[in-house]
This record gives sequence, structure tokens and C-alpha cells, in this order.
Amino acid sequence: MKEKVLVVPCSGIGKSLGSVAREGAYVLAEDLCPQETKLLPLALIVLGQDETRAELSSAKAITIDGCVRACAAKVVEGAGGTVAHGLQVLDVCRRHPDLKPSGISELDESGHKLAHALAEEVKELVDNMWGRVTHA
Amino acid sequence: MPELAKKKVGLIACSGEEMPEGTITRLAVRQVLESLRPQLTVTICLPLFLAGGEGDRAFARSHPTIAVDGCEKRCAARGTEMYSGKPAVSIVVSDRMPTDSSELGSARRLSGTGMQVARDVADQIARHVDELLQPEWDRRRERPLESIKPQEESRPQQATCSCGSGIPVETLQVGGREVALIGLPLVFAQFRGEGKLPSNSTKTELIETLRIYNPIPHEDEAAYAEAILQKYAAFCRRSN
Amino acid sequence: MPEEDFKVTIDKFTFLIPKGLSYNEAGVWVKLEGNRARLGLSDFAQQHSGDVAFAKVRPVGTKLESGDEFADIETVKVNVSFPSPVKGTIVEINLSLEGAAELINQDPYGKGWLAVLELTDWENDRTGVLDAKAYSALVKDQAEAEMRK
Repeated sequence: MKEKVLVVPCSGIGKSLGSVAREGAYVLAEDLCPQETKLLPLALIVLGQDETRAELSSAKAITIDGCVRACAAKVVEGAGGTVAHGLQVLDVCRRHPDLKPSGISELDESGHKLAHALAEEVKELVDNMWGRVTHA
Repeated sequence: MPELAKKKVGLIACSGEEMPEGTITRLAVRQVLESLRPQLTVTICLPLFLAGGEGDRAFARSHPTIAVDGCEKRCAARGTEMYSGKPAVSIVVSDRMPTDSSELGSARRLSGTGMQVARDVADQIARHVDELLQPEWDRRRERPLESIKPQEESRPQQATCSCGSGIPVETLQVGGREVALIGLPLVFAQFRGEGKLPSNSTKTELIETLRIYNPIPHEDEAAYAEAILQKYAAFCRRSN
Repeated sequence: MPEEDFKVTIDKFTFLIPKGLSYNEAGVWVKLEGNRARLGLSDFAQQHSGDVAFAKVRPVGTKLESGDEFADIETVKVNVSFPSPVKGTIVEINLSLEGAAELINQDPYGKGWLAVLELTDWENDRTGVLDAKAYSALVKDQAEAEMRK
């Protein structure tokens, strides 16, 4: 697969996990997989930017949601996009119980570490989508 | 029966990830919510709002809102208008940039200049919150009461409650014409529950409470107050 | 939502309080099922706690007095232990919560139930729990106090 994977974080403003979703998406798109991924703002999908919707229809998306309401996944599906993987930051939290984030405007150290852990998990998914072998 | 909303202002930030201005909206709104006006504001989560969050949408329908956008795409303002109503105030960060956008840092990490812009935007939001909450806010016409010309008030409009929260509307005769007041039955029920008898002091309290949710022109206040008190007295008689 | 449910709305938050259940002040609901009681967290308790990462309920066979802690909830925000509103023995716990603790948030009065107890002193316990109306009033006070913080 050579098409960039679209990454849609919820960026929810009410909870730390929304900020973790946002920061994790940045780590992924800017640091870990800049050639393979592209950040897509959720609001632009809803508000009918034609070129955004066109991107969505031709590529696969990974959504990153900060809570169980799964707004990013709902929005992508509602716009006719394909959610290849819908991640919940809460699930990543469960796999890293020592990393409890706090702060919304500014994540604390645990929050940043959790964002990195999230980005690493998504990187594996992206590598699989690009047909790359991931080493244990 | 649904509760009447206490008056607060809803803040909606675009939080756009593509540019530093989007991050500025996020930080500015959080600053107002956490430090500048914590008791007077509520943040509305834009993704939840757009994805169908009925609580956020209902709140935005029955309270004044301030949309804070990073750029001219105005996702927060347009989304708010689409699902609840036009925001009372729309701020676009890119419109008010005194400096080159590149000085703001990145979307992920704002520079010192970017952080200062966020603080400035937060101050601006806080001033708008104060303006919105001081004079009476005409929810139906989406503007402060002072901007309504007297001749507009002579054409009473039927208030419809589209917020989905079930806030009832009731009409009464004021000065020979029929006016609709949002929340009248709820206010009556609250006052009755608090044991307030129909009196001059109750009349004053009724007007002050109803003014939060309805435009009541100062020049007609006496007529409104008298009509409301009579209606309240009838309500109390029925409740006995 | 059935018409008989109470609803408390503070700002943009709405908390459902179904009639037909009893509640303690910590927000644990009780549903009578013959001589047994099903327990769970109220809508207010789950919203107030935050997204549940882990939920641990005392094992089957545990004997509880009214007020004894019977469930521990870990969210991103807090770790909270909840007291039982009733005296009895745990006869069933919700095993679904092991893999999907978020059920407590998504369906607090349905699939998010916590435990079932065999009751031993309901006649006494019933005087110490709140009906939906009284609990609604408490929720309103607690929610408004939270908003003022």
C-alpha cells in the first residue's frame, strides 16, 4: 500500500485523553511515520471541505478517540470513509496502567509518554497497512 | 420537568491540528475555562458536538456561545450554527494576527509569541463573556437587548423551543398584546416550591429571573411585571 | 428514555435517575430481583468518575454488611471504592467488565451492572436507601457543588 494513511484524532477538549489523542497523532505523523501518514482535522470532514472528503474516499483512515463516544470514528464513517483501525486511548491506558495522564492544555510527563506509546502502537498498524514486516 | 439553565456562556474551539492558530484556540478556551471565567463558562467539545452530542447541542441552543476558530474556514462557528444556532461571537485568530504566522511556532508546540497570542485571545474571550452576561441577551434574535429597536418589540414573535430540552413556553397578555415567555411555568413552579407568595417583592424577583431567558424591554417592564404577577397569583390559586 | 425516569441537567450534562431503583449516597443503585439485589453505578456516579479503565468487584461468596466496599473503579481521573447499600452475599459478578469496563460508562443501568447479592436484611436496609426522587435531589446538589469548584 502506497497511499498515505489518514490519521484522525478526536482532539477532544474536555479530557486529558483528548489531548493524548492529539499529541499521539502528532508524534506519529511528524516523528514516526511522516511519509506514510497524514493528519486530517475532524471538523473539516464534517463541514464538507470537498478536498478533505475526496481524500477520505480514496484512502484508509485510522481514528484515535479520547473516550468511548468515539467521535472521530463516527465522523469518518458518517462521511463515507473507511476506518481501517479505530483506536481508543483508554485501551492504550489499560495496557500502560503506570501512565495516567493529567492536564489538557499541557499534558504532564505521563501524558506525553502515553502519547508516545499510542503512536508506537499506531505505527505498527501503519507498517502492516504498508506491507512492512514489524519486528517483535 | 426539565430544569431551567443557569446563565453561562458556551465556548467552542476549533482545535485544528494543521496550524498553530488551531492550537491557540484550544489553549485560549482552556485558559478562560480554568482561570479567567471558570464559573461563567462551559466548554463545548467540537468533535462531540459534530458527531451528535445532544447535551452539547442542547446547551448551545439555550445559551450564548463564543466560537473560536484558527482560520477563515471557521469550523467552530459554522458547526455551531449548523447544529444549534449562530454563535453570539465568532473570533478568528488568523484575522487578528499582528505578526507573521511563522512566529507562532508549530501546531504541536507554540513559541513564546504563540503562547502570548493565546493569552491575548483568552483575554478577548473573557471580555466577550462579560459583555454577553451583563446586558439581557435576546436568545431569539441572537443579540444584546440594547440593539433592538422599539418598533421591533411591537411585533411579538412566537417563541419556539427547539433545544430539545423540553423547556416550556407560555403566553400571557401584556398591554393588550400576547407575548410568549420561555420558562414561565418552570419559574412559577420553582417560586411556588420555595413558598413565595404573590407580592411586590416576588414580582421583582420574577421579572429578574425571567429576564435571564427572555427579552423584556425596560420601558415595558412595569406592564410585564404586573401581568406576570397576576398570572403567578392564578398559578398559586390552582396549586392550592 | 421512559417517561418515568428523573433527569437532572446541569450546564451541558444530563444525569438519568430511573424510578424503580433505590440508591445510596455514593451513587450505587439497587434493583430488587426477588430475594436478590442487582447493584451498579448511577449515571451521575459514572460520569463523575470518568472513563472506567478497570473495574474490580469482590469475588462471589463475599459477605457484605451495608456500607462495606464491594467494587473498585479505576479511571483516568480517580480510583474509587463503592460501598454496598445492602447486606448480603455476592452470588454473581459481571465478568464482562474484565474486558470491557467501559460498559459502566456506556450502559450504567443495563450491561454495566456490577454484582448480584443474596439479601439478608432488606427490611432494615430499605430504610437506609434513597428513592429516585430523593436521589435526584442529591445529584442536583452534588453536581452543582462540583460545578462551583
